[in-house]
Amino acid sequence: MHRFLQSDFFYSFRNAPVAVASFFVFAVIILAAVFANFIAPNNPFDPASLNLMNGFTPPLQSNEFTGDVFLLGADDQGRDLFSTILYGLRISLFVGIMAVMLAMVMGVVLGLIAGYLGGWLDTFIMRFADIQMTFPSILVAMLIYGVAKGVLPPDLRYEMSIAVLIISIGLSEWVPFARTVRGSTLVEKEKEYITAAKMIGLRKSQIMSRHILPNVLGPVLVIATITFALAIIAEATLSFLGVGVPTTKPSLGTLIRIGQDFLFSGEWWILLFPALTLLALALSINLFGDWLRDTLNPKLK
Amino acid sequence: MSGNREMVAPLLEISRLSVVLDKRHQRFKAVDDLSFRVFPGEILGLVGESGAGKSMTGSAILGLIEPPLSISSGEITFDGVRIDQDASSIRGSKISMIFQDPLVSLNPLRKIGDQLVEVIRTHINISKAEAFGRAKTLLAEVGIDPGRINAYPHTFSGGMRQRVVIALALAPEPALIIADEPTTALDVSVQAQILDLLKRLCRERGTSIILITHDMGVIAETTDRVAVLYAGRLAEIGKTSAVLKNPRHPYTKGLVAATPRIDANSFEKRLFQIPGAMPDLENIPKGCAFHPRCDFASTQCQKQQPPLFEDRSACWLSNEGSETS
Amino acid sequence: MLIIVLRRLLQAVMVLLFVALISFLIFRYVGNPVESLLGQEATVAQRAALEEALGLKDPIYEQYANFVLRALQFDFGNSYRGALPVAELIALRLPATLELAMTSAIFAVIFGVITGIYTAINRGGFIANLILSTSLVGVSLPTFLIGVLLIWVFSVELNWLPSFGRGEVVELGWWTTGFLTASGVKSLILPSITLGLYQMTLIMRLTRAEMLEVLRQDYIRLAVALGQSKRQVYFFHALPNILIPVITITGLQLGSVIAFAIITETVFQWPGVGLLFINAVYFVDIPVMSAYLLLVGFAFVVINLVVDLLYLLIDPRLRDGQLKRGAD
Repeated sequence: MHRFLQSDFFYSFRNAPVAVASFFVFAVIILAAVFANFIAPNNPFDPASLNLMNGFTPPLQSNEFTGDVFLLGADDQGRDLFSTILYGLRISLFVGIMAVMLAMVMGVVLGLIAGYLGGWLDTFIMRFADIQMTFPSILVAMLIYGVAKGVLPPDLRYEMSIAVLIISIGLSEWVPFARTVRGSTLVEKEKEYITAAKMIGLRKSQIMSRHILPNVLGPVLVIATITFALAIIAEATLSFLGVGVPTTKPSLGTLIRIGQDFLFSGEWWILLFPALTLLALALSINLFGDWLRDTLNPKLK
Repeated sequence: MSGNREMVAPLLEISRLSVVLDKRHQRFKAVDDLSFRVFPGEILGLVGESGAGKSMTGSAILGLIEPPLSISSGEITFDGVRIDQDASSIRGSKISMIFQDPLVSLNPLRKIGDQLVEVIRTHINISKAEAFGRAKTLLAEVGIDPGRINAYPHTFSGGMRQRVVIALALAPEPALIIADEPTTALDVSVQAQILDLLKRLCRERGTSIILITHDMGVIAETTDRVAVLYAGRLAEIGKTSAVLKNPRHPYTKGLVAATPRIDANSFEKRLFQIPGAMPDLENIPKGCAFHPRCDFASTQCQKQQPPLFEDRSACWLSNEGSETS
Repeated sequence: MLIIVLRRLLQAVMVLLFVALISFLIFRYVGNPVESLLGQEATVAQRAALEEALGLKDPIYEQYANFVLRALQFDFGNSYRGALPVAELIALRLPATLELAMTSAIFAVIFGVITGIYTAINRGGFIANLILSTSLVGVSLPTFLIGVLLIWVFSVELNWLPSFGRGEVVELGWWTTGFLTASGVKSLILPSITLGLYQMTLIMRLTRAEMLEVLRQDYIRLAVALGQSKRQVYFFHALPNILIPVITITGLQLGSVIAFAIITETVFQWPGVGLLFINAVYFVDIPVMSAYLLLVGFAFVVINLVVDLLYLLIDPRLRDGQLKRGAD
């Protein structure tokens, strides 16, 4: 830890106000989400705790029927907006992390295989990647979501929503990982330590996992940060469109959609607070990611 | 210096030119108190190692230097007119330039004919058709088939492209061409051709050349006079034959000795190297910049920067008149 | 050069066939056409008869070939919801999406290139930095959020512009246009900005980067050294050289505009194919989804092809087969 604090990386971090500020904001949001059940006044996902009469209560005002006060107001179902935002963040972050991990595992494995084994396998994987990349990932995610839902029997569709969401986003983002890892693999496999390993008689899978893999993981971290930001936005977008998280467990995207519906009738808080939160989250991730990319870019050194 | 030089007015006069680099509230001199003249019709060589300030001087003359670099003091006068603050009156019209790398000197997306015509018509008020005709003539003069006037740069080899660049430099009919390492990026066999071409065309037109290079061989072959730069300062200046045969400044001696030769005497000898390296901008020694590497350095050399003695050499030792062998 | 064109065309066709394959597989195996047409109460015999009639017992490659042939004749089957032919549904809503896409693309390109060149030329200036900072926000904001916020400001608070729908449209044969009515044009504004903002920031940053890169090149320095004016330098020398990457990225982005239209159409309830698609995903309407995939795939491939060919036109170096370095 001490060594980290002395490192160049930490030094440039300390001296970049944008990086520090965005990291701080991001950290606050994450912590709030993780400790949601301690911070939040109540659990919005528990139908039993909800009182429909609380619906549309403005922020910091006492509800005329129940007398309850909500920090940021209540939405159309009577949920405390503050709690809902926190719990919704949890889901968003969960989906984001799981999706990135899925994309990363799939991308790294395919990249290794394509790079190391070469041949028709390589061509096939890369051509498929090219074709997938011509479509924007959000579209791919929507498509996978639709197909997955179609494959599942109707009764399971609701329960598996989040899993399907993770799979769709994850499967739409594997290509950058694969391409980078493949590139690095192509370089590494010509090096002498690989020839040595082959001569010792290691199997291909061992060579790939024990020798090549550690050496190609470098840029993967950077791609993972970018992909994480994309995944969060993708989840918010899909939830907004109604093809994301289930409506009883709203995430930021869902809340914004609800908020839009009630804009004209004057319940502005349902839109504003989730929007601000999403804005803060998106901006902080992007700014921090930008800074991270610039700092870790070997070309600029 | 030969007497009759003094009678002819210099075409270009650099007087105590200093170019500085502003870095984190400190100023470093890339060119320090440099003075020399260029006369009509002559080829002056500007020689020195990388970083000695020769390209900087060339750029300064044309007003091409940008912050954090700037001209901090001195004057540049062309044909009696000061151009150090504002070079727009002469840029391209009276003074033109040739860069080092022909592969990137030409716009890859424009035909060479169009690029030539553009330059011609910027400075000479003639019709497009006339300009085209002139362009063709120029191409023929630099040894390129005028029929290729509508070709794109990438269809030419490096040497051919440099010929096109020479044509571009000659197109506005300048009085002076600054050639910044024009042959450094070319094959050795092509170098001689290009230099010959440049020399011949300029002699025919009476155009002066400032030939910037690090190659003493090029200096020997092509220039009338030579100015040796070291760490942004003038070390020695004079007629090329004199300077090469009898270098007065220890640095020049080193340069001459270090030039590889192919003659019967030198096969056995090891290549000579001046020990040490030229200091970078931020670490120029006090006094004479060369003294840490100089066999003959005295205490005065360490303390005071020598002026130019006898219009020839900036060395305390030449003041004493003693022969330094 | 002809060989290059032909090769590109062939590649395009291969990709299209592959996309059609995926589309076919989705259509045939994910959906359950028999059940959706007959309902769950159908007898085994009825099902068998329908399967026979629909050709579901034929070998796969035959079914695939039929699928492609039918697609070429614009027959995509019927929607599960309402049993209308998918082709008709799409045709009905295509003009809306295309008009939206076109308007936003024009908006993005014009403003993107202009601001890009401006911020490159005026590097370090106050306005330039302001534009750059705001663009950072534009890139980070998800499209739907931009749309909703725009609605809030301009529809709810200021009441200047409509918040949903296309307004009045005029029928021109098969096409419906919103350009010819005041309400149509007003309805186009917010959605176009929403859809185009991300593209515009992208184009701006790209143009700026390219311009700065080009201005550093030696041939620009030489042009300045030879006395050419700023105008000449920017327009005669710099501009053609930045066009290539700008066109590529713009062209490739055009494709994603069609996809992001889905989000914008949802925000503004714009009756285009995007809204059609998202509803299809929501209701698991397989034929519509598979047809949309085919349509979008076709659009992407065509756009990529056009961009490639434009490239060939602009950069003479590519016409000779590959980028050659001059031999020294």
